[in-house]
Amino acid sequence: MNLMSNVLEVHNLVKDFGSFRAVDDVSFSVPQGSIVGFLGPNGAGKTTTIQMLLDLLIPTSGRIFYFGKDLKTHHEEILEKINFSSTYVSMPWRTSVKESLIYTSYFYNIKDRRKRVEDILKAFRLTKMQNKEVAQLSEGQRTRLILAKGFINEPQVLLLDEPTASMDPETAQYIRTFIKDYQQDHDLSILFTSHNMSEIEDVCDDVIFINQGKIIAHDTPSSLAKRIKISHVSLQIKDGLKRVTSMCEKSAIPFKLEGRFIVIDIEEKRIPDFLKQLLENGIEYNEISIDKPNLQDFFLSMTKQ
Amino acid sequence: MKIHRIWGIILRHLYATRRSLDRLTDLFYWPLVDLTLWGLTSTYFQKFAGGTNEIIVSIISGLILWLILWISTNSIALTILADLWDRNLMNVLVSPISFSEWMTGNVLLALIKTILSLIFSIILATLLYKFPAFQSTLKFIPHILLLILTSWWVSFIILGTIMRFGTKIQTLAWAFVYILSPFSAVYYPLTTLPHIAQVVASFIPTSYVFESMREVLAYGTYDMKKLGISLILNIIYLAITLIYLKRSINRARLRGLGSLY
Repeated sequence: MNLMSNVLEVHNLVKDFGSFRAVDDVSFSVPQGSIVGFLGPNGAGKTTTIQMLLDLLIPTSGRIFYFGKDLKTHHEEILEKINFSSTYVSMPWRTSVKESLIYTSYFYNIKDRRKRVEDILKAFRLTKMQNKEVAQLSEGQRTRLILAKGFINEPQVLLLDEPTASMDPETAQYIRTFIKDYQQDHDLSILFTSHNMSEIEDVCDDVIFINQGKIIAHDTPSSLAKRIKISHVSLQIKDGLKRVTSMCEKSAIPFKLEGRFIVIDIEEKRIPDFLKQLLENGIEYNEISIDKPNLQDFFLSMTKQ
Repeated sequence: MKIHRIWGIILRHLYATRRSLDRLTDLFYWPLVDLTLWGLTSTYFQKFAGGTNEIIVSIISGLILWLILWISTNSIALTILADLWDRNLMNVLVSPISFSEWMTGNVLLALIKTILSLIFSIILATLLYKFPAFQSTLKFIPHILLLILTSWWVSFIILGTIMRFGTKIQTLAWAFVYILSPFSAVYYPLTTLPHIAQVVASFIPTSYVFESMREVLAYGTYDMKKLGISLILNIIYLAITLIYLKRSINRARLRGLGSLY
């Protein structure tokens, strides 16, 4: 395995809590300059894995390499070059926005701390509220601050745990664009967890799907979506709603009624035949929309298994 | 060890302290309450119970020294708790700060807070009781240093225990040091204690400090043997408690930080 082209390599990671195996033989890599999504339902082992990647939690077995160096033996050197941001942590409540970034900048070997803090405040639209106490910020503003903290040391690898949770849509979009632009400009590598599937599709080059402690899929978001063959066809029926439902029941096609709308889950290749059948049965519809399978569908199908 | 990282730890808590009424209360309110209560009580003994001026001097000196131990212990113990309360501990632990830098930062921060509180107590004692607190404090520099050493190992026990059992036993940060109080003979001579308690006190470095303090006040002499025993005991306990703290942190890293909440 080439340790140099991948900035992060995880080999056969296992974590047991007593008799419970939370992470089961997980191996993956993050290539330099890529954004890898790390997905899974609650309790799948994502947080446990991330804690081990940050050396907060000691693995039962397995090894973690950053930049080709073992995290166990190069702890300090590696942590200087990586960072982490999570919606579930906060900066100290009784410090101001600026103070929290200033003191954090001292944890790292940063040349011009004052300039770096100013730049980060500006990039994350925090300048106006720099003197506000963390306790007075809204949940979304706090999330933005904790994300800003993750960039303070110009990391080469960034672990992001739901970075845009609790942000309003406009700010979330701004932050996603910032992350993508920054990632391209600085050749940054990111491991990204989120429950927002469209965000993952938008941002990530690759997705690792973990469930019950095991990796069950690792592919590009579009390839994962393509694994799902079922599309959602939504029709506003003008006349013949009962006939449509009986048609679906006969053909064992799952459907949902929403007023005059019927939403049908059907394999993409069967759609033309289904529409032909509607015509043959004299069923008229005013509107039709076809939603192709996406990452959300993949996520739902995997978590149902 | 990198100085800038240690400074980062100190800055984190100094910024928070100046905005936190809780932390300021620990530094200034309790010394004010204790000095007022104990000072007035000893003044009463002096005036109406036939006590001498030495009683008031001994009690206030004992109190000021005890406050040093309490504030220094409390300051160190609260550093980790404050990060747990603020959901900030993870941010510290994912940075390149080493265990020794983290602890050095916490200990230096406690030193700054203790000095601030000590200055406040000296001014207060001087104003309230015309007590020559500054001159007395200068006499007690070896005692103060020994008490600061004690506060380090006591707080390491507290921190280690919090790292094992989490915030559910956080009250230790305020209460634990009081276990030492009766055996330390802060306000009374050691001989006042029952024999068994005197045996226990002989293993507690603070008992030698407060005994020596009374001797300095009474005779103006330093009992180097007592101060030496206190120093040796402090060093032994520091070594043991540092290992305990390091092991407790490793244990928390085996179980996950979630177990601390």
